[in-house]
Amino acid sequence: MTRALERVSLEIERGTTVALVGPSGCGKSTLLKLIAGLVRPTEGAVAVNGLTVAGPLKNVGMAFQNPVLLPWRTVLDNLLLPLEILRENHDPRAPARALWGERASALLGTVGLAGAEHRQPRELSGGMRQRVSLCRALIHDPALLLLDEPFAALDAFTREEMWELHQKLGRQREFTGVLVTHDLREAVFLAQTIYVMSASPGRIVHVHRVGLGRPRTMEQLYSAEATALIRDMREQIRPSQRAVA
Amino acid sequence: MSPPLRRLVLPLAVFAGLVVVWEMAVPALRIQQIVLPAPSGVVRTMVQTAGPIAFHARHTLVTTLIGFAAAVVPLLVMWFGIGAVPAVLTAFLLAFFPVAVNVALGLATLEAELRDVLRALGASRWQIFRKVGVPRTMPLFFASLKVAISSAFVGSVISETVASNAGIGYLMAVAASDFNTRLAFGGLFVLAAMGVALYGVFAAIERRMTAWAYAE
Repeated sequence: MTRALERVSLEIERGTTVALVGPSGCGKSTLLKLIAGLVRPTEGAVAVNGLTVAGPLKNVGMAFQNPVLLPWRTVLDNLLLPLEILRENHDPRAPARALWGERASALLGTVGLAGAEHRQPRELSGGMRQRVSLCRALIHDPALLLLDEPFAALDAFTREEMWELHQKLGRQREFTGVLVTHDLREAVFLAQTIYVMSASPGRIVHVHRVGLGRPRTMEQLYSAEATALIRDMREQIRPSQRAVA
Repeated sequence: MSPPLRRLVLPLAVFAGLVVVWEMAVPALRIQQIVLPAPSGVVRTMVQTAGPIAFHARHTLVTTLIGFAAAVVPLLVMWFGIGAVPAVLTAFLLAFFPVAVNVALGLATLEAELRDVLRALGASRWQIFRKVGVPRTMPLFFASLKVAISSAFVGSVISETVASNAGIGYLMAVAASDFNTRLAFGGLFVLAAMGVALYGVFAAIERRMTAWAYAE
Protein backbone atom coordinates (compact mmCIF):
# COMPACT_ATOMS: atom_id res chain seq x y z
CA MET A 1 0.00 0.00 0.00
CA THR A 2 1.33 3.43 -0.84
CA ARG A 3 1.28 5.98 1.89
CA ALA A 4 -0.12 9.38 1.11
CA LEU A 5 1.61 11.05 4.05
CA GLU A 6 4.44 10.07 6.32
CA ARG A 7 5.58 11.55 9.64
CA VAL A 8 4.43 15.07 9.01
CA SER A 9 4.68 17.62 11.78
CA LEU A 10 3.90 21.30 11.48
CA GLU A 11 4.74 23.89 14.05
CA ILE A 12 2.55 26.93 13.82
CA GLU A 13 3.04 29.82 16.16
CA ARG A 14 -0.24 31.33 17.26
CA GLY A 15 -1.23 34.25 15.08
CA THR A 16 1.02 33.28 12.18
CA THR A 17 0.46 31.50 8.90
CA VAL A 18 2.40 28.56 7.51
CA ALA A 19 2.33 27.56 3.86
CA LEU A 20 2.50 24.08 2.36
CA VAL A 21 4.00 23.93 -1.09
CA GLY A 22 4.97 20.95 -3.20
CA PRO A 23 4.27 19.07 -6.41
CA SER A 24 0.76 18.01 -7.34
CA GLY A 25 -0.30 14.87 -5.52
CA CYS A 26 2.07 15.32 -2.58
CA GLY A 27 -0.81 15.24 -0.13
CA LYS A 28 -1.03 18.95 0.73
CA SER A 29 -4.81 19.04 0.53
CA THR A 30 -5.11 15.70 2.31
CA LEU A 31 -3.00 17.08 5.13
CA LEU A 32 -5.33 20.07 5.40
CA LYS A 33 -8.37 17.80 5.65
CA LEU A 34 -6.63 15.63 8.23
CA ILE A 35 -5.94 18.73 10.34
CA ALA A 36 -9.59 19.80 10.07
CA GLY A 37 -10.70 16.30 11.00
CA LEU A 38 -12.63 15.92 7.75
CA VAL A 39 -10.87 12.68 6.85
CA ARG A 40 -9.50 10.09 9.25
CA PRO A 41 -6.01 8.72 8.82
CA THR A 42 -6.06 5.09 7.63
CA GLU A 43 -3.09 4.54 9.93
CA GLY A 44 -1.58 6.56 12.75
CA ALA A 45 -3.10 9.66 14.29
CA VAL A 46 -3.39 13.41 13.93
CA ALA A 47 -2.97 15.71 16.87
CA VAL A 48 -3.64 19.43 16.99
CA ASN A 49 -2.50 21.33 20.07
CA GLY A 50 -1.49 18.00 21.59
CA LEU A 51 -5.06 16.67 21.32
CA THR A 52 -5.91 13.78 19.02
CA VAL A 53 -8.29 14.78 16.24
CA ALA A 54 -11.24 12.37 16.29
CA GLY A 55 -13.73 14.24 14.14
CA PRO A 56 -14.34 17.68 12.62
CA LEU A 57 -12.57 20.26 14.79
CA LYS A 58 -15.45 22.78 14.70
CA ASN A 59 -13.22 25.74 15.47
CA VAL A 60 -11.71 26.03 12.03
CA GLY A 61 -12.67 28.12 9.04
CA MET A 62 -12.03 26.85 5.54
CA ALA A 63 -11.89 28.43 2.09
CA PHE A 64 -11.12 26.83 -1.24
CA GLN A 65 -10.32 27.80 -4.81
CA ASN A 66 -14.04 27.51 -5.53
CA PRO A 67 -15.84 30.03 -3.29
CA VAL A 68 -19.01 27.82 -3.18
CA LEU A 69 -21.43 30.52 -2.06
CA LEU A 70 -25.08 29.52 -1.83
CA PRO A 71 -26.79 31.20 -4.82
CA TRP A 72 -30.19 31.41 -3.12
CA ARG A 73 -28.81 33.42 -0.20
CA THR A 74 -27.70 37.05 -0.18
CA VAL A 75 -24.11 37.91 0.68
CA LEU A 76 -25.16 38.59 4.28
CA ASP A 77 -27.04 35.29 4.62
CA ASN A 78 -24.09 33.42 3.14
CA LEU A 79 -21.85 34.98 5.78
CA LEU A 80 -24.22 34.06 8.58
CA LEU A 81 -24.44 30.38 7.62
CA PRO A 82 -21.59 29.30 9.95
CA LEU A 83 -23.19 31.20 12.83
CA GLU A 84 -26.55 29.54 12.16
CA ILE A 85 -24.94 26.14 12.37
CA LEU A 86 -22.99 26.91 15.54
CA ARG A 87 -26.15 28.35 17.07
CA GLU A 88 -28.22 25.27 16.25
CA ASN A 89 -25.51 23.08 17.73
CA HIS A 90 -25.49 25.18 20.93
CA ASP A 91 -21.87 26.06 20.38
CA PRO A 92 -20.72 28.61 22.95
CA ARG A 93 -18.79 30.48 20.25
CA ALA A 94 -21.97 31.57 18.49
CA PRO A 95 -22.53 35.22 19.42
CA ALA A 96 -25.95 36.57 20.33
CA ARG A 97 -28.11 36.94 17.25
CA ALA A 98 -28.32 40.72 17.75
CA LEU A 99 -24.59 40.97 17.04
CA TRP A 100 -24.59 38.94 13.84
CA GLY A 101 -25.42 41.70 11.39
CA GLU A 102 -22.92 44.08 12.94
CA ARG A 103 -20.18 41.50 12.87
CA ALA A 104 -20.85 40.59 9.24
CA SER A 105 -20.94 44.23 8.16
CA ALA A 106 -17.63 44.92 9.91
CA LEU A 107 -15.98 42.01 8.10
CA LEU A 108 -17.43 43.07 4.75
CA GLY A 109 -16.14 46.58 5.36
CA THR A 110 -12.63 45.25 6.01
CA VAL A 111 -12.57 43.38 2.69
CA GLY A 112 -13.94 46.37 0.77
CA LEU A 113 -17.47 45.06 0.32
CA ALA A 114 -19.27 47.51 2.59
CA GLY A 115 -22.90 47.81 1.59
CA ALA A 116 -22.91 44.52 -0.37
CA GLU A 117 -24.97 42.71 2.29
CA HIS A 118 -28.09 42.34 0.20
CA ARG A 119 -26.51 41.55 -3.14
CA GLN A 120 -26.84 38.14 -4.73
CA PRO A 121 -23.67 36.06 -5.26
CA ARG A 122 -24.29 35.90 -9.01
CA GLU A 123 -23.96 39.70 -9.20
CA LEU A 124 -20.41 39.58 -7.83
CA SER A 125 -17.11 39.22 -9.67
CA GLY A 126 -14.82 36.24 -8.99
CA GLY A 127 -12.62 38.30 -6.69
CA MET A 128 -15.61 39.62 -4.74
CA ARG A 129 -17.01 36.11 -4.30
CA GLN A 130 -13.66 34.91 -3.01
CA ARG A 131 -13.67 37.78 -0.50
CA VAL A 132 -17.11 36.73 0.71
CA SER A 133 -15.84 33.14 0.97
CA LEU A 134 -12.91 34.39 3.09
CA CYS A 135 -15.29 36.35 5.30
CA ARG A 136 -17.46 33.27 5.75
CA ALA A 137 -14.38 31.35 6.89
CA LEU A 138 -13.63 34.06 9.49
CA ILE A 139 -17.09 35.09 10.74
CA HIS A 140 -16.97 32.78 13.77
CA ASP A 141 -13.42 33.80 14.77
CA PRO A 142 -11.93 30.36 14.16
CA ALA A 143 -8.77 29.28 15.95
CA LEU A 144 -7.45 27.91 12.67
CA LEU A 145 -7.96 29.25 9.16
CA LEU A 146 -7.34 26.54 6.55
CA LEU A 147 -6.96 27.78 2.98
CA ASP A 148 -6.64 25.40 0.03
CA GLU A 149 -5.38 27.38 -2.99
CA PRO A 150 -7.95 30.06 -2.26
CA PHE A 151 -6.74 32.54 -4.87
CA ALA A 152 -5.65 30.16 -7.63
CA ALA A 153 -8.58 30.92 -9.91
CA LEU A 154 -8.15 34.70 -9.80
CA ASP A 155 -6.24 36.87 -12.24
CA ALA A 156 -2.76 37.99 -11.19
CA PHE A 157 -3.69 41.49 -10.02
CA THR A 158 -6.79 40.40 -8.14
CA ARG A 159 -4.69 37.69 -6.50
CA GLU A 160 -2.18 40.28 -5.26
CA GLU A 161 -5.04 42.37 -3.89
CA MET A 162 -6.24 39.27 -2.04
CA TRP A 163 -2.79 38.73 -0.53
CA GLU A 164 -2.83 42.26 0.87
CA LEU A 165 -6.35 41.68 2.13
CA HIS A 166 -5.31 38.44 3.81
CA GLN A 167 -2.45 40.28 5.50
CA LYS A 168 -4.79 43.04 6.68
CA LEU A 169 -7.27 40.50 8.07
CA GLY A 170 -4.41 38.66 9.74
CA ARG A 171 -3.23 41.76 11.56
CA GLN A 172 -6.75 42.69 12.58
CA ARG A 173 -8.00 39.29 13.72
CA GLU A 174 -4.78 37.42 14.53
CA PHE A 175 -5.90 34.05 13.19
CA THR A 176 -3.54 31.13 12.87
CA GLY A 177 -3.43 29.93 9.32
CA VAL A 178 -2.42 27.00 7.15
CA LEU A 179 -2.22 27.81 3.46
CA VAL A 180 -1.90 25.22 0.70
CA THR A 181 -0.66 26.79 -2.51
CA HIS A 182 1.15 26.21 -5.78
CA ASP A 183 2.17 29.83 -5.97
CA LEU A 184 5.60 30.30 -4.36
CA ARG A 185 5.32 34.10 -4.36
CA GLU A 186 2.02 33.76 -2.53
CA ALA A 187 3.67 31.52 0.05
CA VAL A 188 6.50 34.01 0.56
CA PHE A 189 4.11 36.95 0.89
CA LEU A 190 1.66 35.35 3.29
CA ALA A 191 3.57 32.83 5.39
CA GLN A 192 6.08 33.09 8.19
CA THR A 193 7.16 29.48 7.67
CA ILE A 194 7.01 27.48 4.43
CA TYR A 195 7.03 23.69 4.39
CA VAL A 196 8.15 22.12 1.12
CA MET A 197 6.66 18.67 0.58
CA SER A 198 7.62 15.82 -1.73
CA ALA A 199 5.30 13.29 -3.29
CA SER A 200 4.77 9.55 -2.66
CA PRO A 201 4.98 9.32 0.22
CA GLY A 202 4.06 12.90 1.09
CA ARG A 203 6.77 14.17 3.41
CA ILE A 204 8.14 17.47 4.50
CA VAL A 205 11.54 17.78 2.90
CA HIS A 206 12.45 21.39 3.62
CA VAL A 207 11.38 24.07 6.04
CA HIS A 208 12.02 27.73 5.26
CA ARG A 209 11.55 30.65 7.59
CA VAL A 210 10.62 33.75 5.69
CA GLY A 211 12.84 36.51 6.98
CA LEU A 212 10.83 39.39 5.53
CA GLY A 213 9.35 41.70 8.15
CA ARG A 214 5.65 42.34 8.57
CA PRO A 215 3.60 43.96 7.21
CA ARG A 216 4.91 43.00 3.82
CA THR A 217 4.73 44.94 0.60
CA MET A 218 4.64 43.68 -2.97
CA GLU A 219 7.99 45.43 -3.37
CA GLN A 220 9.62 42.98 -0.93
CA LEU A 221 8.82 40.09 -3.27
CA TYR A 222 11.44 41.50 -5.64
CA SER A 223 14.13 41.70 -2.95
CA ALA A 224 17.22 39.53 -3.27
CA GLU A 225 16.19 37.50 -0.26
CA ALA A 226 12.70 36.70 -1.57
CA THR A 227 13.96 35.96 -5.06
CA ALA A 228 16.60 33.56 -3.75
CA LEU A 229 14.05 31.80 -1.55
CA ILE A 230 11.61 31.38 -4.44
CA ARG A 231 14.37 30.02 -6.67
CA ASP A 232 15.50 27.55 -3.98
CA MET A 233 11.97 26.27 -3.41
CA ARG A 234 11.33 25.92 -7.11
CA GLU A 235 14.45 23.81 -7.45
CA GLN A 236 13.43 21.68 -4.47
CA ILE A 237 9.97 21.00 -5.85
CA ARG A 238 10.91 20.45 -9.47
CA PRO A 239 14.64 20.11 -10.14
CA SER A 240 15.42 21.73 -13.48
CA GLN A 241 16.04 19.29 -16.32
CA ARG A 242 19.47 19.16 -17.91
CA ALA A 243 19.51 20.60 -21.39
CA VAL A 244 18.81 17.89 -23.96
CA ALA A 245 22.04 17.17 -25.82
CA MET B 1 -46.58 44.80 -29.01
CA SER B 2 -44.76 44.43 -25.69
CA PRO B 3 -42.83 41.16 -25.19
CA PRO B 4 -45.06 39.75 -22.39
CA LEU B 5 -48.16 40.50 -24.46
CA ARG B 6 -46.61 38.87 -27.49
CA ARG B 7 -45.78 35.77 -25.43
CA LEU B 8 -49.45 35.51 -24.55
CA VAL B 9 -50.97 36.41 -27.89
CA LEU B 10 -48.81 34.34 -30.27
CA PRO B 11 -49.54 30.90 -28.76
CA LEU B 12 -53.25 31.77 -28.51
CA ALA B 13 -53.26 32.80 -32.17
CA VAL B 14 -51.64 29.51 -33.18
CA PHE B 15 -54.17 27.59 -31.11
CA ALA B 16 -57.12 29.52 -32.59
CA GLY B 17 -55.70 28.97 -36.08
CA LEU B 18 -55.53 25.21 -35.55
CA VAL B 19 -59.13 25.10 -34.32
CA VAL B 20 -60.30 27.06 -37.36
CA VAL B 21 -58.42 24.71 -39.72
CA TRP B 22 -59.96 21.73 -37.96
CA GLU B 23 -63.46 23.27 -38.10
CA MET B 24 -63.15 23.89 -41.82
CA ALA B 25 -61.40 20.62 -42.65
CA VAL B 26 -64.15 18.37 -41.30
CA PRO B 27 -66.90 19.45 -43.76
CA ALA B 28 -64.43 20.23 -46.56
CA LEU B 29 -62.92 16.71 -46.49
CA ARG B 30 -66.33 15.17 -45.75
CA ILE B 31 -65.12 13.51 -42.60
CA GLN B 32 -67.95 11.76 -40.78
CA GLN B 33 -68.80 13.27 -37.40
CA ILE B 34 -68.36 9.84 -35.80
CA VAL B 35 -64.72 9.66 -36.87
CA LEU B 36 -63.71 13.24 -36.15
CA PRO B 37 -66.30 15.75 -35.00
CA ALA B 38 -65.87 19.45 -35.69
CA PRO B 39 -64.78 21.53 -32.69
CA SER B 40 -68.07 23.44 -32.71
CA GLY B 41 -69.94 20.14 -32.31
CA VAL B 42 -67.63 19.07 -29.50
CA VAL B 43 -68.20 22.33 -27.65
CA ARG B 44 -71.97 22.07 -28.10
CA THR B 45 -71.98 18.57 -26.61
CA MET B 46 -69.69 19.72 -23.81
CA VAL B 47 -72.14 22.45 -22.89
CA GLN B 48 -75.07 20.04 -22.97
CA THR B 49 -73.22 17.46 -20.87
CA ALA B 50 -71.57 20.00 -18.57
CA GLY B 51 -72.93 18.44 -15.35
CA PRO B 52 -71.64 14.88 -15.87
CA ILE B 53 -68.35 16.16 -17.30
CA ALA B 54 -67.78 18.27 -14.20
CA PHE B 55 -68.40 15.25 -11.97
CA HIS B 56 -65.97 13.04 -13.88
CA ALA B 57 -63.42 15.82 -14.19
CA ARG B 58 -63.42 16.26 -10.45
CA HIS B 59 -62.86 12.57 -10.01
CA THR B 60 -59.84 12.55 -12.33
CA LEU B 61 -58.45 15.66 -10.69
CA VAL B 62 -58.77 14.15 -7.25
CA THR B 63 -57.16 10.81 -8.14
CA THR B 64 -54.35 12.63 -9.92
CA LEU B 65 -53.72 14.95 -7.03
CA ILE B 66 -53.79 12.10 -4.54
CA GLY B 67 -51.34 10.14 -6.66
CA PHE B 68 -49.25 13.22 -6.94
CA ALA B 69 -49.25 13.89 -3.23
CA ALA B 70 -48.15 10.31 -2.74
CA ALA B 71 -45.24 10.89 -5.10
CA VAL B 72 -44.18 14.01 -3.24
CA VAL B 73 -44.51 12.40 0.15
CA PRO B 74 -43.44 8.78 -0.35
CA LEU B 75 -44.69 7.88 3.12
CA LEU B 76 -48.27 8.47 2.04
CA VAL B 77 -48.10 5.69 -0.49
CA MET B 78 -48.05 3.14 2.29
CA TRP B 79 -51.28 4.58 3.47
CA PHE B 80 -52.99 4.96 0.10
CA GLY B 81 -51.60 1.67 -1.14
CA ILE B 82 -53.71 -0.28 1.35
CA GLY B 83 -56.88 0.97 -0.32
CA ALA B 84 -55.32 -0.18 -3.60
CA VAL B 85 -57.05 2.49 -5.63
CA PRO B 86 -55.61 1.61 -9.03
CA ALA B 87 -55.77 5.13 -10.45
CA VAL B 88 -53.95 6.57 -7.47
CA LEU B 89 -51.24 3.96 -7.62
CA THR B 90 -50.74 4.29 -11.36
CA ALA B 91 -50.49 8.06 -11.11
CA PHE B 92 -48.09 7.67 -8.22
CA LEU B 93 -45.85 5.22 -10.03
CA LEU B 94 -45.57 7.46 -13.05
CA ALA B 95 -45.01 10.62 -11.03
CA PHE B 96 -42.73 9.31 -8.31
CA PHE B 97 -39.67 8.36 -10.31
CA PRO B 98 -38.97 11.61 -12.13
CA VAL B 99 -39.24 13.47 -8.83
CA ALA B 100 -37.16 11.00 -6.83
CA VAL B 101 -34.44 10.65 -9.47
CA ASN B 102 -34.03 14.40 -9.91
CA VAL B 103 -33.93 15.19 -6.22
CA ALA B 104 -31.39 12.41 -5.63
CA LEU B 105 -29.28 13.84 -8.47
CA GLY B 106 -29.33 17.26 -6.86
CA LEU B 107 -28.17 15.87 -3.55
CA ALA B 108 -25.48 13.69 -5.10
CA THR B 109 -23.90 16.58 -7.00
CA LEU B 110 -23.34 18.76 -3.91
CA GLU B 111 -19.92 20.41 -4.17
CA ALA B 112 -17.31 18.67 -2.01
CA GLU B 113 -15.88 22.01 -0.91
CA LEU B 114 -19.22 23.22 0.38
CA ARG B 115 -19.68 20.02 2.35
CA ASP B 116 -16.18 20.47 3.82
CA VAL B 117 -16.80 24.11 4.79
CA LEU B 118 -19.89 23.04 6.74
CA ARG B 119 -18.51 19.83 8.22
CA ALA B 120 -15.49 21.72 9.50
CA LEU B 121 -17.96 23.74 11.60
CA GLY B 122 -19.39 20.56 13.06
CA ALA B 123 -22.51 20.57 10.88
CA SER B 124 -24.40 17.28 10.93
CA ARG B 125 -25.54 15.47 7.78
CA TRP B 126 -29.07 16.57 8.58
CA GLN B 127 -28.00 20.20 8.83
CA ILE B 128 -26.16 20.03 5.51
CA PHE B 129 -29.22 18.40 3.95
CA ARG B 130 -31.54 21.08 5.30
CA LYS B 131 -29.40 24.17 4.73
CA VAL B 132 -27.88 23.20 1.40
CA GLY B 133 -29.31 19.99 -0.03
CA VAL B 134 -32.98 20.93 0.01
CA PRO B 135 -32.77 24.49 -1.38
CA ARG B 136 -30.23 23.35 -3.94
CA THR B 137 -32.52 20.66 -5.35
CA MET B 138 -35.55 22.96 -5.59
CA PRO B 139 -35.10 23.85 -9.29
CA LEU B 140 -34.76 20.15 -10.15
CA PHE B 141 -37.66 19.32 -7.89
CA PHE B 142 -39.97 21.74 -9.67
CA ALA B 143 -38.74 20.75 -13.10
CA SER B 144 -39.60 17.15 -12.32
CA LEU B 145 -42.94 18.13 -10.73
CA LYS B 146 -43.96 19.73 -14.00
CA VAL B 147 -43.09 16.56 -15.90
CA ALA B 148 -44.65 14.37 -13.26
CA ILE B 149 -48.02 16.15 -13.23
CA SER B 150 -48.58 15.25 -16.88
CA SER B 151 -47.50 11.66 -16.27
CA ALA B 152 -49.80 11.44 -13.28
CA PHE B 153 -52.73 12.49 -15.47
CA VAL B 154 -51.82 9.87 -18.06
CA GLY B 155 -51.64 7.29 -15.28
CA SER B 156 -55.05 8.18 -13.81
CA VAL B 157 -56.77 8.25 -17.18
CA ILE B 158 -55.36 4.95 -18.38
CA SER B 159 -56.32 3.34 -15.14
CA GLU B 160 -59.81 4.88 -15.16
CA THR B 161 -60.33 3.66 -18.71
CA VAL B 162 -59.80 0.03 -17.77
CA ALA B 163 -60.58 -0.22 -14.08
CA SER B 164 -62.98 2.41 -12.82
CA ASN B 165 -66.59 3.55 -12.95
CA ALA B 166 -65.83 7.22 -12.61
CA GLY B 167 -63.36 9.72 -13.98
CA ILE B 168 -62.66 11.34 -17.32
CA GLY B 169 -60.93 8.18 -18.54
CA TYR B 170 -64.09 6.21 -17.75
CA LEU B 171 -66.28 8.90 -19.33
CA MET B 172 -64.23 8.78 -22.51
CA ALA B 173 -64.29 5.00 -22.64
CA VAL B 174 -68.07 4.95 -22.22
CA ALA B 175 -68.55 7.76 -24.75
CA ALA B 176 -66.38 5.91 -27.26
CA SER B 177 -68.34 2.67 -26.82
CA ASP B 178 -71.55 4.65 -27.44
CA PHE B 179 -69.98 6.11 -30.58
CA ASN B 180 -70.42 9.50 -28.89
CA THR B 181 -67.16 10.80 -30.31
CA ARG B 182 -68.05 14.36 -29.44
CA LEU B 183 -68.26 13.56 -25.77
CA ALA B 184 -65.00 11.60 -25.95
CA PHE B 185 -63.28 14.62 -27.44
CA GLY B 186 -64.95 16.80 -24.84
CA GLY B 187 -63.27 14.66 -22.17
CA LEU B 188 -60.01 15.12 -23.97
CA PHE B 189 -60.41 18.91 -23.94
CA VAL B 190 -61.17 18.91 -20.24
CA LEU B 191 -58.13 16.72 -19.55
CA ALA B 192 -55.90 19.04 -21.54
CA ALA B 193 -57.24 22.07 -19.68
CA MET B 194 -56.70 20.45 -16.28
CA GLY B 195 -53.17 19.43 -17.27
CA VAL B 196 -52.27 22.93 -18.43
CA ALA B 197 -53.85 24.50 -15.33
CA LEU B 198 -51.91 22.30 -12.89
CA TYR B 199 -48.71 22.81 -14.86
CA GLY B 200 -49.34 26.54 -14.55
CA VAL B 201 -49.83 26.27 -10.80
CA PHE B 202 -46.47 24.52 -10.37
CA ALA B 203 -44.74 26.91 -12.74
CA ALA B 204 -46.03 29.84 -10.67
CA ILE B 205 -44.83 28.32 -7.39
CA GLU B 206 -41.50 27.56 -9.03
CA ARG B 207 -41.07 31.17 -10.13
CA ARG B 208 -41.56 32.36 -6.59
CA MET B 209 -39.33 29.81 -4.91
CA THR B 210 -36.40 29.35 -7.27
CA ALA B 211 -35.94 32.74 -8.88
CA TRP B 212 -32.28 32.60 -7.84
CA ALA B 213 -31.60 29.75 -10.25
CA TYR B 214 -32.56 31.76 -13.31
CA ALA B 215 -30.56 34.75 -14.51
CA GLU B 216 -32.82 37.67 -15.20
